[in-house]
Amino acid sequence: MHGGKGGVFARIFGYIRFFFSTMDQSHRNKVTEVTEFEVKELENLFVLLLMGSFTGIPSPPSFVAAELLPHLEHEIKVLNERAKNSFDSLADMASLLDID
Amino acid sequence: MTTLIVVVGLAVYVLLYLTYGKKLERSVVKATDDETPSQRMFDGVDYVPAKAPVLFGHHFASIAGAAPIVGPVLAMAWGWVPGLLWVWFGNIFIGAVHDYLALMASVRYDGRSVQFVASDVIAKRTGKTFYWLVFFLLILVIGAFGAVLGNMFIANGQVPSAYILKLVAALILGVLLYRVKMNFTAATIIGIIMLVLAIIGGHQFPINASRDVWMLVMFFYIIIASAVPVNILLQPRDYLNSWLLYIGLAIGGIAAIFSFAGFTAPAFTSFAPIVSGGQPSPFWPVIPLIIACGSLSGFHALVGSGTTSKQIEKEKHGLPIGYGAMLTEGFLSTIVIISVSGFGLSIIQGAGQDLTVANWGSAYAGAMNASFGAATTFTNSYAAMVDSTFLTILPTEIVKVIAGMWVASFAMTTLDTTNRLGRYTLSEILLPLKAKNESMFNFLTNRWIASTIPAIIGIYLAWSGSFTILWPSFGSANQLIASIALLTGAAWVMKRQKAKNANIVLIPAYLLWITVTAAIIWFSVVVLPGTIEANPTTGIVVLIIEIVMLIMNFVFIIDFLKNKDKPLASEA
Repeated sequence: MHGGKGGVFARIFGYIRFFFSTMDQSHRNKVTEVTEFEVKELENLFVLLLMGSFTGIPSPPSFVAAELLPHLEHEIKVLNERAKNSFDSLADMASLLDID
Repeated sequence: MTTLIVVVGLAVYVLLYLTYGKKLERSVVKATDDETPSQRMFDGVDYVPAKAPVLFGHHFASIAGAAPIVGPVLAMAWGWVPGLLWVWFGNIFIGAVHDYLALMASVRYDGRSVQFVASDVIAKRTGKTFYWLVFFLLILVIGAFGAVLGNMFIANGQVPSAYILKLVAALILGVLLYRVKMNFTAATIIGIIMLVLAIIGGHQFPINASRDVWMLVMFFYIIIASAVPVNILLQPRDYLNSWLLYIGLAIGGIAAIFSFAGFTAPAFTSFAPIVSGGQPSPFWPVIPLIIACGSLSGFHALVGSGTTSKQIEKEKHGLPIGYGAMLTEGFLSTIVIISVSGFGLSIIQGAGQDLTVANWGSAYAGAMNASFGAATTFTNSYAAMVDSTFLTILPTEIVKVIAGMWVASFAMTTLDTTNRLGRYTLSEILLPLKAKNESMFNFLTNRWIASTIPAIIGIYLAWSGSFTILWPSFGSANQLIASIALLTGAAWVMKRQKAKNANIVLIPAYLLWITVTAAIIWFSVVVLPGTIEANPTTGIVVLIIEIVMLIMNFVFIIDFLKNKDKPLASEA
């Protein structure tokens, strides 16, 4: 009997903990989204700088770009996908900004 | 009565979620166990699977704002039954369907936006229409929310004071998180303590100023907030806002269940009471212009097809997130209607207004506006509802400030984020100008010029216009976007899904288009002439926006009817 009550309380406590941890995670996700958006912009600049020498922008020198390029493997894949969606940012921005 | 309506509301939502919602999932969306974009295109950055409850919380926080609170308060002019029915059934059969379809269509289109889907299933220019409508919506939302905040700050000087203190708390939280690099949980606890102190400080030291002063403050606040790096002010502010949302909802939900109060507002006044611009406003077609977000919001289609669709883990999570989050927002509007129905009459009467059950239809909108405005009418009713339960241990004046902060925070967030989106939409709209006059294009799309255009026009409208004009104008832009998004969903269901039950979406989509079109025509012909006479600049600006939107709406329906039975280019 006593154990049963303990079980119920433990379950209720578990639900409350789950609720708060979920809420906390949601809040964190939401606020870090803004930073992620800014990071995206910085990554775009970084890639532009590195790839620049290949497209005629005179900085940085090609050998520096070639040396750093392997570090960009993942980013290039991501940016490839982003390039396809680059004209379609309205919804992304709308979900980033709390309007209405 | 309050308790009964909450229980019935919950039962209706749960029952229809399990029946109608599930039917949509099975036979219209045809949710499968296939991989979603977050798995298929996982990149650890944009496409990342999120747990369903976490994504639900995230999505709900993005769609919930001040609009589902303010709209239902104004709609009380019809009595509590019509507004409540529109919130419940408009939500279940139109609004939540709209959100769910936008989300799932986006999921099937690799996380692309509803705008992209519209370009594919209807016509390219339909997709382009979104930029214009969103730009108009931004102007009108600043006007409407500026008017709401102006009325609110005048009615209760404790709210702006608490809000300013909350901004200081947000700045400190930003420093703790990003400069001091404090542990997140410790910073959160400090943030919540500062939030409580801001509420108490606002209560102790109210700031009373005129409407003109508040409009100027808001205008400069919008400009400054858009220039400050996001992690300094907006990000910690939004984090504190999320807590306010849940605290406000939890207190309101518990109070509504345990208040056991009768309704003092009439159930029904007349088909056409005085609502907008002092004119008799017929329930059909005007209601969607008044209750937008609590029942249906076009902006949600963009939100759902933005980040949510890229993070959804399984297609079957789409129903609780897309459909369920919208029902939760409807529940928020239900709490608003319950609190004003139970306690609004005595509160407005207490402000010396001649409002009775007998004259409710003709006097409510004017009395509510003249006494407190929509937001404060709600926050005072909410505080009275809380006071009628065991939660009376919370001081009423403090509860008023909490509720006021809740609404003001949402409205302010909207005001200071519109600049960022305004700049983007204006740049897209003006793109054709680039080839013809590049210097003019560069001037108009300059960071400062483009981002302040919606702020200047919007705050001017808020300053000079009446709330009962601006609110339906904002509603019209919002509902037009919803109409386009729902027809896009219907076209997707017919063309891509080839669902036998396409009418389940198509009929509400047609009904919505007809209703919104009729409402905009009514608003332009019946209400706006009076505004133009009293205040020519405001009236003409709003009229021009309404006419342009109406023209786009007809172009859009022609495109839809022309293309709805044509096969997709990829399948032709």
